[in-house]
Amino acid sequence: MFKMKRFLASLISIVVITTLLGSVSFAQAPVQLPRKETLYVAGMQWGPPTTFNPMAPSPAWPTNRGQHYLIYETLFVYNLLTGKLDPLIGESYSWSVYTLTIKLRKGAKWQDGTPLTAKDVVYSLQLGKKYPLYFSSFWDFVTDVKAKDDLTVVMTLNKDKPFKKRVEVFLNQIFIVPQHIWSKIDTGQKALLEYTNTEPVGSGPYKLLSYSPEQIVLQRDDNYWGIPYYGKPAPKYVVHPIFKSNDAGNLAFERGDVDFSQQFCPEIWKMWEVKKLPVGTWYKKEPYHIPASVPSLYINIHKKPLNNPLVRRALAYAINYPKIAETAMSRYSPPAKSSLIIPVGVPERKYFSQEDVDKYGWKYDPAKAIEILEKQLKAKKGPDGIYVLPDGTRLGPFTAMCPYGWTDWMTSLEVVAESARAVGIDIRTEYPDAPVWVDRRNTGNFDLLMNTPAGGYTPAHPWLRFFEVMEIKGVPPIGQVAYWNFNRYSNKKASSLIEAAAKITDEQKLATIFRELDRIFMKDIPIIPLEYRPWHFYEYNETYWTGFPNENNPTASPLHTAQGIRIFYLIKPKE
Amino acid sequence: MKDILILLFRSKRFIVGFVLFLGILSFALIGPILNPKNPFQMVGGLFSPPSDRFILGTDNLGRDVFTQLMYGTRTSLLIGCTAGLIATTIGVTIGSIAGYKGGIIEEVLMGITNVFITIPSIVILILLSIAIKARSAVVMGLVIGITAWPWTARAVRAQTSSLKTREHIDIARITGFSSLEMIIYEILPYMFSYIFMAFILQFSGGILNEATLSMLGLGPFQTVSLGVMLHWSLLWEAVRTGAWWAFIPPVICLSMTTFSLMSMNTGMDEVFNPRLRRS
Repeated sequence: MFKMKRFLASLISIVVITTLLGSVSFAQAPVQLPRKETLYVAGMQWGPPTTFNPMAPSPAWPTNRGQHYLIYETLFVYNLLTGKLDPLIGESYSWSVYTLTIKLRKGAKWQDGTPLTAKDVVYSLQLGKKYPLYFSSFWDFVTDVKAKDDLTVVMTLNKDKPFKKRVEVFLNQIFIVPQHIWSKIDTGQKALLEYTNTEPVGSGPYKLLSYSPEQIVLQRDDNYWGIPYYGKPAPKYVVHPIFKSNDAGNLAFERGDVDFSQQFCPEIWKMWEVKKLPVGTWYKKEPYHIPASVPSLYINIHKKPLNNPLVRRALAYAINYPKIAETAMSRYSPPAKSSLIIPVGVPERKYFSQEDVDKYGWKYDPAKAIEILEKQLKAKKGPDGIYVLPDGTRLGPFTAMCPYGWTDWMTSLEVVAESARAVGIDIRTEYPDAPVWVDRRNTGNFDLLMNTPAGGYTPAHPWLRFFEVMEIKGVPPIGQVAYWNFNRYSNKKASSLIEAAAKITDEQKLATIFRELDRIFMKDIPIIPLEYRPWHFYEYNETYWTGFPNENNPTASPLHTAQGIRIFYLIKPKE
Repeated sequence: MKDILILLFRSKRFIVGFVLFLGILSFALIGPILNPKNPFQMVGGLFSPPSDRFILGTDNLGRDVFTQLMYGTRTSLLIGCTAGLIATTIGVTIGSIAGYKGGIIEEVLMGITNVFITIPSIVILILLSIAIKARSAVVMGLVIGITAWPWTARAVRAQTSSLKTREHIDIARITGFSSLEMIIYEILPYMFSYIFMAFILQFSGGILNEATLSMLGLGPFQTVSLGVMLHWSLLWEAVRTGAWWAFIPPVICLSMTTFSLMSMNTGMDEVFNPRLRRS
């Protein structure tokens, strides 16, 4: 009996000691947060957080670009619904010929109480000039940035590249950081990039409360300077749990443990149609999300026989686009059209011409593909069912690749391979690791490769997409590293049109140029659009929070970044 | 031989396993002839449920699951059989030489075997699979086979060590047989049933290993196997979306196949193992 007591006593003391030690070493362990005041988000952070430094190559949520602007803020936020930049730190901006004048919000301040002035903005932008950072290409288009007074910033455009839309892209992308803090860290590039910034001081409505490999927790800053302008965000806490895999996150979302998700979630409609859960996306019906980018099949246009535009045209007719939309995109995309302009949803749809697509483009039509192969190319079908050109060149095997694990892309390529084989073109799929894919893509070393030209969405679209697909100026030859136009498509006419479009603001003229560019694209087929992807997957579960915007209640952009931050102000806890 | 077969078919376990295995085999070999559909053809929608047109529905790519199942079982059997043959061959060769020769040869061979046993074979399997660019079904079988032999080698060595002390071995030795002849004519025939059982075990192990590798995305290219089917259904979250037809049929096929092989193995054990043999 005595022994038993002693055993129990030692057991209890061990438990107490470990708990105490545990609470010391895991001072940032998750605390129990009131569910009614906490918004759980998912799909922006994979793997343990390592740094909250917005200048680092891949900082943790929410300090990475293209995520919720909750700690650090940008000057303006892009509104996907209107195609305009809405105010954030900046109140308004105006263009004269070569200058951009930005007015800042009165009363803006940092979370430590220091006022946020034009000097902070100039300092933040200058960092990109001093060091190679994520926004350094801003300085290709701008030669000078000055603080005229505390609330006015003036930028001078590069007269050789007066591309106003491209500058506007950066207004929604560059995080403004406090000079009084960063000037102490900014002692060199290495020091700047390696600073982990575990107590970030931003200008946004939330502060970092705690972080661990399991989750990142933000707490609302009730002294946020923007309250007079924008009101107060509804959730007191915002938590991003870090899931091990996509399906774990989707399961949590389905259970209501996550309120707001950006994860690719196959067949999400079943959640409300079959399981009757309070789940929603932007549209209640297909395609559920707003299409905003065009993942495409890049073709090696310098390699025989793919250098023949007729072979490319036959391939373009052979691909089953509706099937890709149905299976690979889980119906989150309308079937892709033969255009570099997205026909639905996004503001650029006004430039799309169905007439041109009917006249110069293509669609899924295997019979037409066979007709091109047999009548125009005089190809003959070999005993294995694959066509051979009159000079003896067999159509394949071509390798089509995308990174392993990108399930929607892998599925798209499976459909491409299958539908090409059905017509008589031999395509095989290969799924290397992402770095291999990047290397092959940038050096142009591929037959067929899947990639998104100008991913994300900006005020410069669709111009940026034409630029990345058809502009050869500044692209090194095959074998060296390129950052756009990976298959080195070259067309003088297209180049001059792209340059002209960058300088024009007249909508009528712009529309004419885009149509002409699109016609050149459809004639030469350097890439084949396969599907449309939303900028973000916008999925909400209203078990705990309601009032999320959607098609019938379009109060904010369906985004996890940019103007999508307004969603935090619009939602309400469920009664 | 006839006696052995009569004995075998007295074991109910063997009969159950054998009949089941024959059924699976004919499903995988004869099925594709009777149902000449292309398993890769995308005939339906994303996870279309079972219907008159598709008895077992379609997978995430809209391919007929039933057709896939036939071809997939065939590939899995091919991989398992290749792996089993290779593992058994290597294991028997190393084990019998080590057991018969003894001395330094035994030490070296068993040393190598023990090294292979200590390294988890799944690690070697994953590394090999990543390194190999063109993974066909036969190559997969090869890769699995060359990582699975050590246990067979150890067991065969033990058997050989005990067999070589028997009298008929001494007699054969007097007649001037070489070591190789001794192993082939005097030792292996006495272990034939044992080796066959080892093969059956390796066969089912090979099928399971293929499923493991394929589920990790390291399966054979441009072909369908039971593991590859499971891989796609996992990637596309068939469990969460309720598309049971995408993963239950391959799982059933997989477990039926290994069950039938295991059942045959225990049945044989009952017959061949004197300690378990009933009168």
